[in-house]
Amino acid sequence: MATGTAPAAPLTPAVFAILLSLAEGEKHGYLIMKDARAPQGGGVRLGPGTLYGSLERMMRDGLVEESGISDDERRRYYRLTHLGHSVLAVELERLDAAVASARSLGLLPHGGRS
Amino acid sequence: MTPSPLRNDRLERLYLFALRLYPAPFRHAYGPSMRQTLRDALRDRSLSRRNLILLVLRDLLTSIVKEQLLMLREVFVRPALVFNALVLTGLATVLALALYAIPQQLLRRGADDPQVEMADNLVGQLEQGITAGNAVPADKIEIAHSLSPFVIAFDDQGHPIASQAALNGQTPTLPKGTLDYVREHGEYRFTWRPSGATRIAAVVQRVHGDHPGFVLAGRSLREESVRQIVVKQMATLAWIAMLALIFVGTAAFGWYTRPRAA
Repeated sequence: MATGTAPAAPLTPAVFAILLSLAEGEKHGYLIMKDARAPQGGGVRLGPGTLYGSLERMMRDGLVEESGISDDERRRYYRLTHLGHSVLAVELERLDAAVASARSLGLLPHGGRS
Repeated sequence: MTPSPLRNDRLERLYLFALRLYPAPFRHAYGPSMRQTLRDALRDRSLSRRNLILLVLRDLLTSIVKEQLLMLREVFVRPALVFNALVLTGLATVLALALYAIPQQLLRRGADDPQVEMADNLVGQLEQGITAGNAVPADKIEIAHSLSPFVIAFDDQGHPIASQAALNGQTPTLPKGTLDYVREHGEYRFTWRPSGATRIAAVVQRVHGDHPGFVLAGRSLREESVRQIVVKQMATLAWIAMLALIFVGTAAFGWYTRPRAA
């Protein structure tokens, strides 16, 4: 049961990468690790300990929950909660504003990545 | 190159062993999933074996420490537990201060007893008309070094008329206002510092009669100071012992009443 409160921005890289990965849908541990490692997933190198430690605290904060679906009793699937979606949206807006500011300062090319 | 299943199996066994270093509730909740995640990673050929091993090693080091610290925080940093520990620490501190202050005061007050008797006797003799030169013993006592008690007789203006005490060969002078206080109150017991390191337990009394004046009886507080240091050390040791007991008791109580995983 979610009992915590939403973490304040900015999120840690691990929490952000997990939220971003789960925004696509329900996933199990290794898929989240793989998404996080990819550049578009944040480029965060998560190991199993960090991943499940983060997931436990995120569940406590009500950002993610277990879906209850499993293809193996050891492979648990997780999904975002409404709060998790909201927190991710806030973080993305914050990052978007930072990127826009960097562009206006000429630190990033206009138009972003192709 | 296809990783050897045997090598995977060995890595998994090592990982299983390392999982024991996590706190038990965390291990029970996530150990099987972590093992499965490692198994999935070992099967994934897109990740180099070397990088994976390094990643897992670093992860084990950091996450074991983090989870252990978080568990300690959950077990011990609970408001009720911390509050109780702080209250007990406060009580222990007050008790230790009392253990220091009460004997210290008793020692200091006890140090005046012989001088009170000496001053009473000398006042009695002077009021009976015996002259100060006859009533005050003739032997000189260097108060900076000697532990012997001594007396000084003063006239009504506060000038020394007979003295056993000497400090660097001279009769030591009393702090200003001392005799005025005695004139008003009859007696004054105080700690006198006639020179830097010399502390004297002094008793000054008023002499009435035909030849009014004052008498001072004093004695070095050097031995009392040593006893006071011993009392201070014992009180400090008692305080440390009480704090250790509170720490151990709080830790044991915290562990016994720790929140348990559902």
